[in-house]
Amino acid sequence: MSAGQSPIVSIFDVTKDYSLGKVVVPALRGVDLKVFPGEFISIAGPSGSGKTTLLNLIGCVDTATAGVVSVAGQDTKKLTEKELTNLRLHTIGFIFQSFNLVSVLSVFQNVEFPLLLQRKLNKAERKDRVMQLLEQVGLAQHEKHRPNELSGGQRQRVAVARALVTRPQLVLADEPTANLDSVTGQHIIDLMKELNQKEGTTFIFSTHDAKVMNHANAVVRLADGKILDRVTSAEAQRAMAAGAEGH
Amino acid sequence: MGQLRLLIQVAFRNLFASRINLLIGAIIFFGTLLVVVGGGLVDSVDTAMSRSIIGSIAGHLQVYSDHSKDELGLFGQMGGEPDLAAVDDFSVIKPLLEKHPNVKTVVPMGTSGAMVTSGNTVDLLLARLRELYRQRVDHGETPELREQLDSLKGHVRHIVTLLESDLANKDTLLSDGALEPADEEAIAKARSDAFWAGFEQDPFSALEFLENRIAPLLPDGTMLYLRYAGTDLESFQKSFDRMELVDGQPVPPGKRGMLLSKFFYEEFLKLKTARRLDLIKRERDINKKRIAEDPEMQRWVKENTQQLREFALQLDPLKTKLAIERLQNHLGTKEPNLEKLLASFFATTDDNFDARYATFYKDLAPLLELYRLRLGDSLTITAFTRTGYVQSVNVRIYGTYQFKGLEESQLAGGLNLMDLMTFRDLYGYLTPDRKAEIAEIQKKSGVTAVARENAEDALFGSSAAPLVADATPGLLNDKEGMDGMGHLRREDLAERVYNQQELEKGMVLSAAVILKDPSKLKETMAELQQSAKDANLPLRVVSWQQAAGIIGQFVMMAKMVLAIAVLIIFVVALVIINNAMMMATLQRVREIGTMRAIGAQRSLVLNMVLVETLVLGLVFGAAGALLGSGLIAMWGHAGIPAGNPTLYFFFSGPRLHPTLSLGILAAAFVIVLVVSALSTLYPAFLAARVSPLRAMQTDE
Ligand SMILES: Nc1ncnc2c1ncn2[C@@H]1O[C@H](COP(=O)(O)OP(=O)(O)OP(=O)(O)O)[C@@H](O)[C@H]1O
Ligand SMILES: [Mg+2]
Repeated sequence: MSAGQSPIVSIFDVTKDYSLGKVVVPALRGVDLKVFPGEFISIAGPSGSGKTTLLNLIGCVDTATAGVVSVAGQDTKKLTEKELTNLRLHTIGFIFQSFNLVSVLSVFQNVEFPLLLQRKLNKAERKDRVMQLLEQVGLAQHEKHRPNELSGGQRQRVAVARALVTRPQLVLADEPTANLDSVTGQHIIDLMKELNQKEGTTFIFSTHDAKVMNHANAVVRLADGKILDRVTSAEAQRAMAAGAEGH
Repeated sequence: MGQLRLLIQVAFRNLFASRINLLIGAIIFFGTLLVVVGGGLVDSVDTAMSRSIIGSIAGHLQVYSDHSKDELGLFGQMGGEPDLAAVDDFSVIKPLLEKHPNVKTVVPMGTSGAMVTSGNTVDLLLARLRELYRQRVDHGETPELREQLDSLKGHVRHIVTLLESDLANKDTLLSDGALEPADEEAIAKARSDAFWAGFEQDPFSALEFLENRIAPLLPDGTMLYLRYAGTDLESFQKSFDRMELVDGQPVPPGKRGMLLSKFFYEEFLKLKTARRLDLIKRERDINKKRIAEDPEMQRWVKENTQQLREFALQLDPLKTKLAIERLQNHLGTKEPNLEKLLASFFATTDDNFDARYATFYKDLAPLLELYRLRLGDSLTITAFTRTGYVQSVNVRIYGTYQFKGLEESQLAGGLNLMDLMTFRDLYGYLTPDRKAEIAEIQKKSGVTAVARENAEDALFGSSAAPLVADATPGLLNDKEGMDGMGHLRREDLAERVYNQQELEKGMVLSAAVILKDPSKLKETMAELQQSAKDANLPLRVVSWQQAAGIIGQFVMMAKMVLAIAVLIIFVVALVIINNAMMMATLQRVREIGTMRAIGAQRSLVLNMVLVETLVLGLVFGAAGALLGSGLIAMWGHAGIPAGNPTLYFFFSGPRLHPTLSLGILAAAFVIVLVVSALSTLYPAFLAARVSPLRAMQTDE
């Protein structure tokens, strides 16, 4: 894409093996990938193809068996546990399949949580920022509620707000719509897309859902731990349709 | 500090989120309650008891001979008095101890015990009669004297009548209890009008007949065990501020004499009927018990209605008539029989008790001799000396005393006080006076030193001090002493005033040391021990706790039991909290993983778990401490009744007013913090190791 920009994520010849007792399960086998700021990328592939594994490596919650994973220009292999945590805190936002809100905290407190970890903003600034995001996700009036008082879609919107409250460069979402019905899932993707366009935040999300894939600028197709190709969403859909026919 | 606030908030909200936390909370709550209440009580008993022990006899420190076989036990020990070696010369150790800047006073002391006979009514009467006839010989008869003589004689005659009917009863009851013919003869003689008609001709031989033949048949004098402490009475009273004189007067400085403990005087020397009335009154007033419900009080009432003999013996015909009148008046009957009147008078109930108690002391007590021994009288104390001889000493009872707050305590009240000189006599220590007296008696009577009690010497004399090895000449029979020269000498002794030097230059068993600053007790103890060592004096210096013997150990034991209970509870708490927090952590791995994924450091997770248990500990601990302080404050206000007089000593009075020291609260606080921190370390460590990957798990 934009040739002058440096990539926010740069992956080179990465392999990831899981060992299950004596058996070694290769989850990724020589993956290369570059993601540039502002992209809205979907990772697609059949179950077991390595989507989650790839996202975990990019999200610095796991390390590659071999190869180089660079996030925001930093080689993650060379960072300590502490530095990796800081990288996650300041550069990456996470949206989880099961929302993963802290159940005893209110909506407001859940969203505020990463800001408290960052210790950058004072109380008033934090409040402004949190309320601004809650408004963006349409939950300002629910700030005092507990997660269990919200619907699944509302919870995921809180999670989106939490992922974005620190204004990260990169947001990762592993199947963010898998636990939602298709309409609600659609809304979440719309919301993400909107934030991507307004704030220029880079999004990488994985999905099974062809409709969800539609919104992506690009789709990275994975199979058996390898990247098949990197295509537009239309091309990906065509390929998927063809694949389905082939069966 | 948003982060810490967040952690505390998370902790508080998790507090009631799970049942496990409530369980942990309950354990911490009861643990703290136990520490506060138990600690507060034991502490208060400790303080109360130390007040009792220090203020009554022990002082802060006690010093005694290092040659002693046993350890000092001021309140006795199992199996009698401890075997102590004597300190030969108090005047040597006193300046040594007083040299220390923290020593206020040093009081010489020695405790021991002996048997005494509490006087027999008829003995007392006969002694008084004899005294009156002597007066008549010296000063001639007056109408007043005549009246007194007749009254006393009437009383004695009345007693003989009672005795005869008593013995007649016994005769029919016990076939083998038959009276010796000689005794029957004696009674018959004493009953006869001829005997009483001839009384005035030769009163002294008539009295002698009564003393020798009739008095022994009346078995109402009892042997009592008398515990006593010999001390410098003047200095004792000044140093032990809890001691106060109740009746009578203090023993004049330097004189021989004794102060009986008020408790002993009441318990053993008071007319039993009156004593039981007092006890019933105490239970009603102090312990709020009711006769209708309390078996012990019912027993006292019953005994009062049945055991009227001691009472009846005391009344001569004139007084009997008065008593009958007054009782008829009070009871509103015409019953002419005294025993029946008394029985119905003493059948007290909760409703009429107070009125009868008042009537007893107003109308009946003036007719009676309430105590077997009057203040000002002499008491004969017979003791085994250290060498095993029997030693008898007559000592004047000047008054009664008590230790404030310990009036009813057997432990403190069991101790009577006497002067040092008498104590040394009974102990077998020879004063120069005594040595001279003995030498004179021996010279006059031509008796060479008779060791009548050689057999006992072998039994008791094993560790005789060289000081007393030259021995007393056997039994100084007080009958002999009452006659002739011996009698006079005793009078001399009773009147003699000893100077301070004589008092101090002599044997003691121990010395009580009163400190200026009791908080430096430990240091002072060590320093005194050192200076004794430096001066080459074989002395042991012990704290009041050690000096009190078993009783001193009581609080230590209570403290240990409490400590063990607390330890067990908190070890259990430790294990349970540990397991519970492990479970809680496992339940929350995804939440923790999420926090880690979105940028929380391990330390934050660690702190989160720690703060959670701390908050749990503090909230429930504070609740427990609050309830505990509340209970202590409530008891402190109302007082915990001792109920049983044995506890008075430990409570330093009839009620314990416990207080809570900051130390106990601080200890509870620290224990709770330490326990919750310790029990959470491992779960917290585990939580901190939760990988952010766990956030990605979709486990539904
Ligand atoms: N923790 C693990 N231990 C062992 N093997 C694992 C582990 N996680 C993933 N794998 C294996 O690695 C491969 C890739 O798994 P991954 O979860 O990345 O696939 P995925 O594309 O996310 O699948 P899905 O669409 O089902 O989520 C699979 O064969 C999987 O069985
Ligand atoms: Mg997956």
